Amino acid sequence: MNPTLSVLLYASLAAGAASLGALPFALRGRLPLAWIGWANAVAAGLMLGVAHALVSVGMEREAVHVAVGAALGIGFIALTHRATGTGDLDLNRLDETRPEYGYQVLLVSTLHAAAEGVAIGTATALSLKFGAFTAAAIAVHNVPEATVLSAILTSRGVRRRDAAGLAVAADVNQVLLAVVTYALIAAAPPLLPWAVGFAVGALVYLVMAELLPEAYRQAGRTSIALATILAMAIVVLLDALRPA
Amino acid sequence: MSDVPVTVTVFWYALLTALATGVGALPFALVRVVSPRLVALANAVAAGLMLGASFALVVEGTRYGGGPTEIGVLLGVAFVLAAERLMRDREVSFAGAVGAGAKRMLLMVGVMTVHSAAEGVAVGVSFGGTGALALAITMAIAVHNVPEGLAITAVLRPRGVSLVRCAGWSVFSSLPQPLLAVPAFLFVQAFTSALPYGLGFAAGAMMFMVFEELLPEAYGEAPRAAVAALASLFLVAMVVFQHYL
Repeated sequence: MNPTLSVLLYASLAAGAASLGALPFALRGRLPLAWIGWANAVAAGLMLGVAHALVSVGMEREAVHVAVGAALGIGFIALTHRATGTGDLDLNRLDETRPEYGYQVLLVSTLHAAAEGVAIGTATALSLKFGAFTAAAIAVHNVPEATVLSAILTSRGVRRRDAAGLAVAADVNQVLLAVVTYALIAAAPPLLPWAVGFAVGALVYLVMAELLPEAYRQAGRTSIALATILAMAIVVLLDALRPA
Repeated sequence: MSDVPVTVTVFWYALLTALATGVGALPFALVRVVSPRLVALANAVAAGLMLGASFALVVEGTRYGGGPTEIGVLLGVAFVLAAERLMRDREVSFAGAVGAGAKRMLLMVGVMTVHSAAEGVAVGVSFGGTGALALAITMAIAVHNVPEGLAITAVLRPRGVSLVRCAGWSVFSSLPQPLLAVPAFLFVQAFTSALPYGLGFAAGAMMFMVFEELLPEAYGEAPRAAVAALASLFLVAMVVFQHYL
């Protein structure tokens, strides 16, 4: 298969996985707050695991370019948070009634997914297998993230089916950015270490600025720490077992 | 290089990280109260450095075996969790004998001391890997100790404890580091197959401290954008620094 088509396929599957995030609502009407906290923590751990896998591969190339790329990634997400006025937004409020709140949350989810698209595209440029691995990790990560998003949307009166659709829609730009990133690196290979750094910086910053601060408010810090580390350890272990 | 001088080096490095805790008392020579926000930002820096150091430990451990490293991570998490539970129970049984202020002071120094046991193991074990790893881990732990000393002093100083004693208690809380670093180093030297478990253990213990204490405390006192930026930047800086050693 054409490698660009592979990226398209991997990223599409990852984005589609978000639809599974609405499933817990089919089983239970409303989720306890602690569950949402753990979903956030698992999502955070999976992202950190992907960042770990990317950085340990990327460091074997020009480390300075990776570092500068990472600073750019951190700066980019911090600036988009500031520009959209979502830097200090409480992301997981189920009782917020302001009409614009739902759109703000969707906007944040969309920007978040964009950074993950860059990660999938970069990983695929490193190797097809690594791309499939990263896309799988992001796909699993999209599920708890979509659960959190669906919880907010359904609490605002959105129907469950529509909430699942919106959760997938928020992740669609993941596909676009994965393909664009892959194509850019294929056209200009020196961009690779920069892209690795950008993806790592953006992933880590998103974990620290969005997922963890919310998680600590939703469940006890010990359970959050355990969920985050376990999710991260699973990705790291699978990465270590991945055939080279 | 024979084993004896290396053992001495391990001791000195770990003693250095313990002394770094005392540095945390110094800002209180200038002011009576250091703002909780400054402590929170220092914790965010420490969280980034320790996560970066854990990344390096896991990469190094995976080189010797992925499974053992993971088991080590889980053991490290379980150790800190169990040690903290134990401390909490002890503290409750002491509660009748001491006042509320003294209880908080004892808890603060006690919890920090338990922590540093795991950190000492981290320093010792890292000497079983490459030299660069040992230097990076020692630096991460030393920097992490400064806000710990800051936090201890912030609790003791307003209760009338002198600055010298604050620094003394800060260093005391880190003394398990040199004491445990040496046996940990000798252990992985004697049983080379234990190295990946040890590296994983150190990573797990440090990560648990980051996610269970440093980060939630930092988010509580400082804006999350500042915490996130400092923690992510120092994580990346640590990984790059370790690469060039």
